Amino acid sequence: MKEKARRMRLIAFTTPALFFVTIFIFVPFFMTIYYSFTDWDGVRSAQFIGVENYTRFFNDLNATRALRFTLAYAAAFVVLINVLSILLASLLDSKIKGKGFFRTSFYIPNVISLVIIGFIWQFIFGNVFDSLFELTGERLGFLQWSWLGNRDLAFYSVILVSIWQALGFYTIIYVAALQSVPSELKEAAAMDGASRVRQFFFVTIPIILPSITFCVFLAIANSFKQFDLIFSLTDGGPGGATTTMALQIFRTGFGTLRQLGYGSAQSVILFILVAIITALQISLFRRREVSM
Amino acid sequence: MKNAGRWITFSVLLLVVIIMLIPFYLVIINSFKSYQEIVRSVISLPTSLNFDNFVEAFYRMNYLTAFLNTLLVTVTGTGGIVFLASMAGYQIARNNTGKLAKIIFFLLIIPIMIPFQSFMLSLVRVSSALRIYETWWGLALIYWGCGVPMAVFLYRGFCMGIPRELDEAAAIDGCNAFQTFRRIIFPVLKPVNATVIIINALWLWNDFLLPRLIIGFNTSHFTLQLQAVQFRGMYKMEWQLIMAGFLLTLIPAVIIYLIFQRQIVKGMVTGAVKG
Repeated sequence: MKEKARRMRLIAFTTPALFFVTIFIFVPFFMTIYYSFTDWDGVRSAQFIGVENYTRFFNDLNATRALRFTLAYAAAFVVLINVLSILLASLLDSKIKGKGFFRTSFYIPNVISLVIIGFIWQFIFGNVFDSLFELTGERLGFLQWSWLGNRDLAFYSVILVSIWQALGFYTIIYVAALQSVPSELKEAAAMDGASRVRQFFFVTIPIILPSITFCVFLAIANSFKQFDLIFSLTDGGPGGATTTMALQIFRTGFGTLRQLGYGSAQSVILFILVAIITALQISLFRRREVSM
Repeated sequence: MKNAGRWITFSVLLLVVIIMLIPFYLVIINSFKSYQEIVRSVISLPTSLNFDNFVEAFYRMNYLTAFLNTLLVTVTGTGGIVFLASMAGYQIARNNTGKLAKIIFFLLIIPIMIPFQSFMLSLVRVSSALRIYETWWGLALIYWGCGVPMAVFLYRGFCMGIPRELDEAAAIDGCNAFQTFRRIIFPVLKPVNATVIIINALWLWNDFLLPRLIIGFNTSHFTLQLQAVQFRGMYKMEWQLIMAGFLLTLIPAVIIYLIFQRQIVKGMVTGAVKG
């Protein structure tokens, strides 16, 4: 009898949450899988067409370019953001004046929407660089480069702005991790004659490895989902060079052709990709953590 | 020697701060310029403190409506997430050995692994079938679904640490399950409430893609971010106006951040590390 009451309580308290998760995540997610095998266009009723959308994906230059860009963008972002924020966090972890001020300033880009950040940097790469070029007597040639108009440069510009935006967030997580490293351990290593660099790699890094696992996971998830920033900064251009999978799905599904079935197949591919990569990453890092 | 190291550290940090803040400096100085001034130079200081651009941007962006819509979405959305997730997380923690609780917990948190973009196309269809398409409250309801998984995870973790004696004492005093939760447990959840509110409110306030999909082109329900993007598209060359509009859009979040920065940073870190 008591057991039954417990069950009823559990069901009563969790049903509302389950309801909203079901109708707004599970239902559309399984619908997407279903539609990925159809020619759904939002108007006519969807016809089953087998795996046509999937074979089409791998022969579609725009879609595969978006896939390649997303992978390259994620790789560059994940590595750079973690290396730079660990370095910055170790600088912040020293005995220095104005730590609070530094932390507050680093974090500010994180409370501003990505679309606005994209537009602001568009202004910087264009108008501000032009003004600086004139001001410096037209000597600094890089100010005149087409930072968002050249295919290769646009890649670096997108990475640069992404790092600028996210740096404060990852830094603060690493600062918290570094503060948990016991100072006795570092002192002991120093007494054994370990240099600062060796202390960092052989004492600090192993201890903060769980935070690194977590930050890498977060960076992977966020870079594969990137939409807002690219939408406003480059709109996927020039010539589709910076189009992410997310943007490609959006365009395919809601563009003038409304190829919702084909867009659904791209959505499923994105999901499988993220699932495989995060599973690999977590098992790889966890194994390391255990062996430490 | 030690001093030199400290100086280098300090200088590097200062340089990073400058890089972090320069974009905002540029937004601020340019939002006070006239069209003639901004055409001449975008890096010089404005000649006078002229608020005309703000007044114009305020009207042309329909700022007040957009601000209220964003506020409604953020408050309703965050409130719903807190309400739904705290109840679920509490009961899952209380039954954590039970098989049913494990299944429910798994179902509630597995969506964390599903990227939003992999179900957004059908989500629009679901929202129009439910007749909540192109409304601010439909948007808020969808945030309930999307925000609950992460929040349940945080609430369950926190509730595991709340002693069961608290529930038992309340039951002896004659409280039923809902009263126990509302009067006894919910007040104890304060720290995790703060984390959940901070993470979700910032996300909802600044989000663009989901509002773009759900609000569509129903301008009377536009949020600030939608309005800012439309505004940017309408005044392509008049950067002084655009900058004023952007400043108006980003200022509420920055003010809130500067007031509650300690709590916000702490909340984000706990949310991130626990998550």
